[in-house]
Amino acid sequence: MPKKIAAITAAIMSLAVLASAQFRKEDVKVNKLDNGLKILFLEDHDIPNVALYTFFRVGSRNERPGLTGVSHFIEHMMFNGTPKFGPGEFDRRMEFAGGANNAFTSDDMTGYTDWFPAAALESMIEMESDRMQGLLLDPQVLESERGVIASERRMGVENNNDAILSENVRATAIMAHPYHWDVIGWMSDILSWKRDEIMAYYKTFYAPNNAVLILVGDFDPVRALELIRASYAAIPAGPPPPVVSTVEPPQMGPKEVIVRKEAQAPSFLMVFHAPSGASPDFPPLAILDLVLLNGESSRLYKRLVRDEQLALDVSGGTQESIDPLLFFIEAKPRPGVDLVKLEAVILEEIEKAKTGGITEQEFQKAQNAIKSGFFFGMQSINGKAGQLGQSEILHGSYEYLFSEMDLYAKVTLDQVKAMAAKYLTENNRTVGKLIPEGGQK
Amino acid sequence: MNRHLRTLFIVLLLGALTLPAAAANRLPAPEKLTLKNGVTVYFLKNAELPLVSLRMWIPGAGLGNEPAALEGAANLTADLLMKGTATMSAEAVAEAVDFLGARLDISAGDEFAGLTAESLAEHFPRLMAIAADCLMHPAFKPDEFEKERKTRLDGLKAVKDSPGAAVRSYFTKAYFGSHPLGHLANGTEASLQAMTLPDIQGYYRKFYRPEKSIAAVVGAIEKPAVLDLLNSTIGQWKAQGAATPTAPIPPYAGPKGKKLILIDKPDATQAYWILGAPGYKLGDPITPQASVMNTLFGGRFTSWLNTELRIKRGLTYGVGSSFQTWRTGGVFMANSYTKNDKIGEMLDIVFDLLKKGRGGFAPEEIESARNYLLGQFPPTLETNASKATAYVRLAYYGLGFDYYEKYLAGIQSVTGDSAKAAAAKLLPADDFVLVVVGKSAEIKAQLAKYGTWTERKITDPGF
Repeated sequence: MPKKIAAITAAIMSLAVLASAQFRKEDVKVNKLDNGLKILFLEDHDIPNVALYTFFRVGSRNERPGLTGVSHFIEHMMFNGTPKFGPGEFDRRMEFAGGANNAFTSDDMTGYTDWFPAAALESMIEMESDRMQGLLLDPQVLESERGVIASERRMGVENNNDAILSENVRATAIMAHPYHWDVIGWMSDILSWKRDEIMAYYKTFYAPNNAVLILVGDFDPVRALELIRASYAAIPAGPPPPVVSTVEPPQMGPKEVIVRKEAQAPSFLMVFHAPSGASPDFPPLAILDLVLLNGESSRLYKRLVRDEQLALDVSGGTQESIDPLLFFIEAKPRPGVDLVKLEAVILEEIEKAKTGGITEQEFQKAQNAIKSGFFFGMQSINGKAGQLGQSEILHGSYEYLFSEMDLYAKVTLDQVKAMAAKYLTENNRTVGKLIPEGGQK
Repeated sequence: MNRHLRTLFIVLLLGALTLPAAAANRLPAPEKLTLKNGVTVYFLKNAELPLVSLRMWIPGAGLGNEPAALEGAANLTADLLMKGTATMSAEAVAEAVDFLGARLDISAGDEFAGLTAESLAEHFPRLMAIAADCLMHPAFKPDEFEKERKTRLDGLKAVKDSPGAAVRSYFTKAYFGSHPLGHLANGTEASLQAMTLPDIQGYYRKFYRPEKSIAAVVGAIEKPAVLDLLNSTIGQWKAQGAATPTAPIPPYAGPKGKKLILIDKPDATQAYWILGAPGYKLGDPITPQASVMNTLFGGRFTSWLNTELRIKRGLTYGVGSSFQTWRTGGVFMANSYTKNDKIGEMLDIVFDLLKKGRGGFAPEEIESARNYLLGQFPPTLETNASKATAYVRLAYYGLGFDYYEKYLAGIQSVTGDSAKAAAAKLLPADDFVLVVVGKSAEIKAQLAKYGTWTERKITDPGF
């Protein structure tokens, strides 16, 4: 650490208030029902609200050709009716009680996120438990929701050049593992999933032993546990869901994919095969990611956006995942820019990382970003619930969340350099370019 | 993939924040501090996490104050402030902020420029030193100016590849015309080409002044430390010369009659639209009724728009409506998108719902919307940053720190009749602007029944 900064840090430390650190591992209370449902409680009485998050261990990773996108589709159908609460009833009752919700699906997980006033707890637990196994999948409602998903795909992919390119690059880089396709799924699959296939998929993955329930906010833990037992204990455990056994074979040479499309500006994406989130290689590679891509002082931003003005922006990096996924470098090229040159500059910076590693200053900067990021993410009951859930699904336990900072602090400069050499290689690389059709305007 | 985009319901079309959708049951009263240079700072200690947030507004340095020829100057000036000072290069500023793992931003809204700073408490003093340096001693280097200008010119082209983003700029221009609130944050090709560095320096001297600036600090820091720190940083900011009086943003009545604009994007597989009409001004007594009414019409998942267009018919992934407010006026906006061959069906339903809405809502709907707004309110003031923003905002608009209490009480007392009156006034019938971006060849015939459209190509310059 340079002397000047050390001196400043020492001076300012005296001004800061030592936080009372109300968010500790010990504050999280864990329960497990006989049917395998894991329950996390974290009380926080700052506001009279509760975040109830339910995470299922299912995502596009668990799909197969013909059924791509079905995890995300079930996420939508979870709001469309059970025998007890008809189509739309979940939202109507929740909003009447002052609650709101959203839900998301990723490669690895599906999350249901409810935010409501404390008084709505009983009703929310009743409705959440009901839809864990009770979906009707009414054929008419199903067809309408299919249209919604098709619209979401048109908006999110077909009318978004960067997303079209990203889908192509992912499918080129990953040939065997289900990460091959995007969470939204292929349009032809969206238009042809059969009701019985969707139901079978739902029955397989929506079981208490495949879920984690997280409650953060203003509630009484004794009563909350009673309510949860009353609603969830009778749901039977399911057989363990099938294991994803496909392992992506090693890539044996560089790949490139070109997309030609009417556009004003080109798009550019470079990816490398990367380790899983639980791999010991992940933290040092994630630090390299911050050095290359985090903020305007990062190496790639400085080179591409500031110095050579080849790109409007550059972003990406690692993504924590259950199985090995990709390291992304996404640049938004300026209109008219030579993509070959852009690519060469990125490769040059990667070469520098491989041969020279990163500096002490860059390492400390990454550590500070990780520490701040941890606390920025903990400012709301929603943030806390989300972090706990992600940690459960990706690392098997919420406890990982509290050891993450230490884990990253133990990384060495040599490890970071070694990761660059191990993963950011030519044979591991796929480059995608979207080239505006009919010349650039 | 998310079930829905929550941001759809809070379209930040005009840069300024509108906020009936925000505030905790109780916004704690802050302490009022005064810096040596007269700047007012509202302060609240919150030691739950080792974080501190600061918000500061510089009234008059927003888009709405730009001279017509300098469209885009407010935002460009704000960005340039972060690109080097008398003693630090742009790289040094970025490095220093990133090194702390902090967030520092200066950006322009409609009526003000805003400075945002937040970090771990241990890094906050250093962060404020950097922030003050950027604010008070900008270098305004020619090469940085050129970079910012070029980035904007290139960005203007790129945005047209994304119809969902482009439709917002087209709408802003169509709705406000030459009124200052119609200025686009990133300017236009013409304004950027004509802009010079002395223009930006002049803009800074005229509009960036401490006299009316308001700040708020919330987080893990004690009052004496806040005072010491801010007095030695932004408290050193002195006014240069006498203030030139700046004209307030003139009121804008909004459109009379129908204005229909079609932008042809031949490769679009969906048609994107925004409909806008006059709303109400910030702090208007109609706010609670309008909030309840809009919650039911297009402001939440079970709203009429979402029920009819998405839930029942699967026509779209996202649809919503919202109000945007500023000191002297406001706008109502609804927006969505659908497959090219469904745009006529979709817009028919929207117009039917607008008509039905003007007739009012059922009592149980009113009760549900009241509960929803009250229940979703506390999280909006949960974080340090949201509290600091609320203090600055309430102080700037002179609404008082009990504003949200009154707003919530107002929500509680909304009746079917008062919501109906708000709907009759605010859901447009004859006076509105409708902008559609899509593939003209496939949608034009469906649109003919709504009136006469002005058609342009997406590749035509400007918006």
